[in-house]
Amino acid sequence: MLKQRHMFKLLAGAGLVTLATAMPVAAQEIIKLGLSIPLSGAGANWGKGSVFLCKQAAKEIAAEGGVKVGGKVYNYSCVAYDNKYNAAEGTKVAQALLNRDGIKFIGGSLGTAPVKALQSLSERQGVLHFTTAWGSSIKGPDFPLTFTIMNTPNEISYPLIQYIKEANPAVKTVALLNPNDASGQETEVIARKAWASAGVTVVSSDWFDRGTTEFQPIASKIAATKADAVDLGGTPPSDSGLVFKELQAIGWKGVKLVEVGTGAEGLIASGGAAGEDVYMGAAIVFDGPQVTEKQRKINDAGRAAIGESLNQIHIGFYDAVYALKAAMEQSQSVDPKVVAKALPSVKFNSFYGPSGFGGKGTYGSEQQILVPVIVTQIKGGKLTEVRRIEPAEMKSRK
Amino acid sequence: MQTALQLIVTALQIGSIYILFSLGLTLIFGVMKIVNFAHGQFFTLSAMLVAVLVPWFSSQGFDGTWAYLASALVGVLASVVLGMLTYQFGFRFFQRDLTGSFILSTGLVLLLEGAFLHYFGGAVRTIPSVISGTVSLFGVNLTSQRLVLGIAAIAAAALMYWVLSVTRFGKAMRAVSIDHEAAMLQGIPYRHIAFYGFAVATFLGALAGALLAPISVISTVLGADYLIKGFIAVIIGGLGSVPGAIFGSLFIATIESVGGFYYDPSVANLAIFVLVMVVLLVKPNGLMGVK
Repeated sequence: MLKQRHMFKLLAGAGLVTLATAMPVAAQEIIKLGLSIPLSGAGANWGKGSVFLCKQAAKEIAAEGGVKVGGKVYNYSCVAYDNKYNAAEGTKVAQALLNRDGIKFIGGSLGTAPVKALQSLSERQGVLHFTTAWGSSIKGPDFPLTFTIMNTPNEISYPLIQYIKEANPAVKTVALLNPNDASGQETEVIARKAWASAGVTVVSSDWFDRGTTEFQPIASKIAATKADAVDLGGTPPSDSGLVFKELQAIGWKGVKLVEVGTGAEGLIASGGAAGEDVYMGAAIVFDGPQVTEKQRKINDAGRAAIGESLNQIHIGFYDAVYALKAAMEQSQSVDPKVVAKALPSVKFNSFYGPSGFGGKGTYGSEQQILVPVIVTQIKGGKLTEVRRIEPAEMKSRK
Repeated sequence: MQTALQLIVTALQIGSIYILFSLGLTLIFGVMKIVNFAHGQFFTLSAMLVAVLVPWFSSQGFDGTWAYLASALVGVLASVVLGMLTYQFGFRFFQRDLTGSFILSTGLVLLLEGAFLHYFGGAVRTIPSVISGTVSLFGVNLTSQRLVLGIAAIAAAALMYWVLSVTRFGKAMRAVSIDHEAAMLQGIPYRHIAFYGFAVATFLGALAGALLAPISVISTVLGADYLIKGFIAVIIGGLGSVPGAIFGSLFIATIESVGGFYYDPSVANLAIFVLVMVVLLVKPNGLMGVK
């Protein structure tokens, strides 16, 4: 009898404790943001920085009082899995995020191949999907729930290549080299057109499998074309450094460009002095008067976390969280489809300043984030901003 | 002519690392009659430790070359110790058991890859050039670093070939690989030979990783690509055949060099797989394999 009374008291006490702790949780709900990113291999630093910035944005929003929708307060938490930059792992990550974890918002995804795998599920399941993938085929009226949160080759290639031609008028020929996957294939198509529009002939276009570590044979081939410029398109920084190092050893001299070039550190670490004068299309300089104190602080924290400066890929994941907040508060809904309908009309503060979504002329619907194209070059081992181009569509909305 | 020389030099330089790697694989098969898929992990551990330790030694005041040599020593030793542990607690019980050793080594690959990812992280690593500058060899330009490392790899392979051909230990290993029962009847201690043979094989794989580190980007999955090519080299040359492993490695390196130049690396990789299928159809035991 005594034992039973004791047990009853214990259970009642446990029940009270549970209720008491459950009550504050109900006042502040958590929305999980899924991330499909590479956390191993050549793209690992892109993935790690993306997780960092997703969490940074979530932390800032929580500190400002959270997302207020329908009388409730929501905060975000970032859930990341390694897609290894390939479709097979991307499929596993998609299953884990959507089917196992039941996530309704993809805070960011990286790599066109794994992103296509994710998208095949997310569009069908009504999941809102932010991505930094470069494929132009992944958005449009057929994919109403997918939004791109960084500039892609459509936005970067033309102004970047135009600038390079202006700064290097002697460039008449170019050799292209890209990873042999969806990202590289989509980048190559646009790069060809961009070089042609600048009056430069593409003398060769080659491919390598991601994970390749020996670039000497392909560098020999590129050098043999005697191209005036080499465009490495979607090649990650460490691989780009190796290619330029081999080209330098062979004796090739010319204009060097990496459209997805995101920073000096990775490229110089593998390429050494061969990284000098490389132009890049997806990097950001954090020195100089155009950088705010907040941007500098975030970059310092990011550099401490991942060992290199933040870049446009990482920042896309930061902007996605703020875009989502703005769309949720404007639509006063946490339904992904309702939020997706609101996104094209929201204005929010991106890392770069006021921003929104556009690109209807290019993609058929407004699913492309409007942020500046920043052209940088490595000079004296340091990254230097040489041109910043505001998107015309954003200027017209101001 | 210049192009041909460039391709030959490239093939020799790439092939030197493959030779070291595949010698280890073929030694293990020759002595123990097992295939060791975890060989790539010993290679990876050595390369990864070099990438991690070179900056540390440099910060302790070692200059570039000494930092690299010290790191390589630690990397190779650590890999050999890991190899010894996997032999003593694993492969020792699966000698001459292809199925059992296949399952064990596959499990080891998953375990070690996960462990490397956990302790070293997923990001790729590079180390600064150990030897700077370029040289011109028969009119072909290559970095001094690649030349020195290629010569070191070829010298190590030549030394191993000499050991196997001339020393008592080498002769004992060859005897065991031909007929282990007859070798035991002659008084050759099979267990000792298997143990030391595994150690030598691991050493070769680890040395290949340490020599590759300064000229590549190092990640926890580096060994996977070399494992596939190493196995192809050994299969083409003939499992258990040392000259076969050397020939197979140079064969693959030549395909990579020529295919990468006239087409691109993706096509070269495809060609390697097609050619190994052709070789197996014509000579199932490899070009220099023993039936």
